Amino acid sequence: MAGFRLIELARPFAPLLPEVELPYEKIGFDDKVVYTIIAALIYVFGQLPLAGVVKDTIEEQGSSVLDPIYFLRGVFAAEPRTLLEFGTFPVVSSALIMQVLAGLKLIKVNFKVRQDRELFQTCTKLFAVLEYVVLANIFIFSGYYGSALTVFQVVLLNLQLVSAGLFVTLLVEVIDKGYGFASGAMAITTVTIATNFVGDVLGVNQLPVDNEGHFEAQGAIINLFQSMRASHKTFAGAIVGAFNRDYLPNLTTTLLVIALAVAVCLINNFRLELPIRSTRARGVNNVYPIRLLYVGGLSVLFSYVVLFYIHIVAFVLVQVVARNDPSSILYKVIGGYASSNNLLYVPQFPLSLLTPPKSFVECITRQPLTPIVFSAFMIVTGVWFAGLWQAISGSSARDISVQFKEQGITLTGHREQGIAKELDKIVPVASTTGAVLLALLVVAGELLGLKGKGASIIVGVSCGFSLLELITAEFQQNGGQSALTQVLGVTGA
Amino acid sequence: MSTTAPPGGQRTLQKRRQAQSAKDKQQKQTPASTRQAGFGGSSNSILKLYTDEANGLRVDPLVVLFLAVGFIFSVVALHVVAKITGKLF
Amino acid sequence: MAKGTNQFERLAEAPVEFVRDGTAFIQKCKKPGNKDFLKIVRAVGIGFVAVGIIGYAIKLVHIPIRYLIV
Repeated sequence: MAGFRLIELARPFAPLLPEVELPYEKIGFDDKVVYTIIAALIYVFGQLPLAGVVKDTIEEQGSSVLDPIYFLRGVFAAEPRTLLEFGTFPVVSSALIMQVLAGLKLIKVNFKVRQDRELFQTCTKLFAVLEYVVLANIFIFSGYYGSALTVFQVVLLNLQLVSAGLFVTLLVEVIDKGYGFASGAMAITTVTIATNFVGDVLGVNQLPVDNEGHFEAQGAIINLFQSMRASHKTFAGAIVGAFNRDYLPNLTTTLLVIALAVAVCLINNFRLELPIRSTRARGVNNVYPIRLLYVGGLSVLFSYVVLFYIHIVAFVLVQVVARNDPSSILYKVIGGYASSNNLLYVPQFPLSLLTPPKSFVECITRQPLTPIVFSAFMIVTGVWFAGLWQAISGSSARDISVQFKEQGITLTGHREQGIAKELDKIVPVASTTGAVLLALLVVAGELLGLKGKGASIIVGVSCGFSLLELITAEFQQNGGQSALTQVLGVTGA
Repeated sequence: MSTTAPPGGQRTLQKRRQAQSAKDKQQKQTPASTRQAGFGGSSNSILKLYTDEANGLRVDPLVVLFLAVGFIFSVVALHVVAKITGKLF
Repeated sequence: MAKGTNQFERLAEAPVEFVRDGTAFIQKCKKPGNKDFLKIVRAVGIGFVAVGIIGYAIKLVHIPIRYLIV
């Protein structure tokens, strides 16, 4: 097995996979903005219902298969029963997992060789597409889209889900390859999370809420005003209803989400400023900031990737194998699903330990162990990932010290040889501590019953910050003649 | 281990340092990621998957965007066809 | 046996040390002042909501489409 390398598996598929061309010349600042936004908007536009799904699954009470991963959807920008059933999950998970495996040297890749890098990249893409295929078929055969599908329907659903997945991969690739701002996956996720947030707060679309033909707005604030004026509700009842309706976003969750976003803003701006000076010119002093959230929202993303895998495996075992039958062994060992509101599939006992509760009250009364297990899970995976990622992602203490040497900078009060060691005391601590704080925020939000909205706003805001940093750097370099900023009158704040 | 081991003399210390530096060197030689090798890619807080142009079906980014929109509309068309013909499926 | 307890102690100590290092780091951190913080929150909030509104506008297009096709 000595000569065998996993990435070689991708070689035969390489000519088949579409590959976005690298830009011939440098893309301007404005073009990048436009590319990024358009790619993200196409993604948002892709949240169309799937064709060929059996329509009456919802009426078919009791036996129908409902959404088992509702609390994971926000983070991966996935919408149930649409083309983007799995959102960016396959792309993000394949990128994170391949990189982590390469970092642990479990996959042998020599990143210095161009051919190896290409193969690694193709392998990542192949893995992502493969995940779309596997997930699509898991959902199809679980009966999620209806219990008695014809062959034609199965093929059609596969075709839709997989090609949607392929297009998501390509959209991410377009942004990544330099047409947009760096990370396509993060840009798309952030835009979708922002969209969902606005929809939840200010959404004006009306949805039927009961059998009497009453409609309520999706947006929590819009709903407040609307129900104050509604004739079938008392004034006080309207306000109470706006704060605690559980079928649509309410004001309580909205306020919680905003509080979480502000908290992320706060800890995102915690940084340790190391005094640096130039080794070439005397008296040139500056500071080099090390952010507390050194790995940004990636640690939460990784935790959620692991969580997603756990829940998908459980879903396969319980639903596809055991058909959610309470008498089967698998159901007893893993825990089954109970339907809620005819919309969600809520995991039961052992599995519920890793499931954020639907509300705080339910958390206390029905799953008192969940807070402990869930927070332990988030913290352990987050810290492990943060510790690893800071070392392998090319921004470790040693990489920074090499950068310092190249740029003729040194830490004030340290010899050049001591920089790496000094940074090594700071960077891992920063990244792991940041990961713990972020994990605690996610746990706090999720245990209060945000059903994935808490995690998604945290990922959204922290990814947004990472992107913003990149965009401002880009702007300072070559955004001077940007027509877009002149039109908008942005002053670089 | 290191705590239980008796405080090492010069020889062990030197050995340890040597091993450490050898390990360092080895790590330096095999970068763990594209960025560590100096070719862009994911950084500490950015997840960037695609950096190099691998072999494959070359496509222009604009083509990708148009095809994506086209794909979405083809799904819409599928819905419409399904609705008009009643029970297609 | 002695080695075992030692390892166990170290295992128990690791999180304590981790928390200590972490809090020390946070205390050393430069935190944004009230004014700065408000500015950041406002800027990020406006940006986030602006992007969200653009996205939501696209999603509104879905409503007639869904009406048409479902």
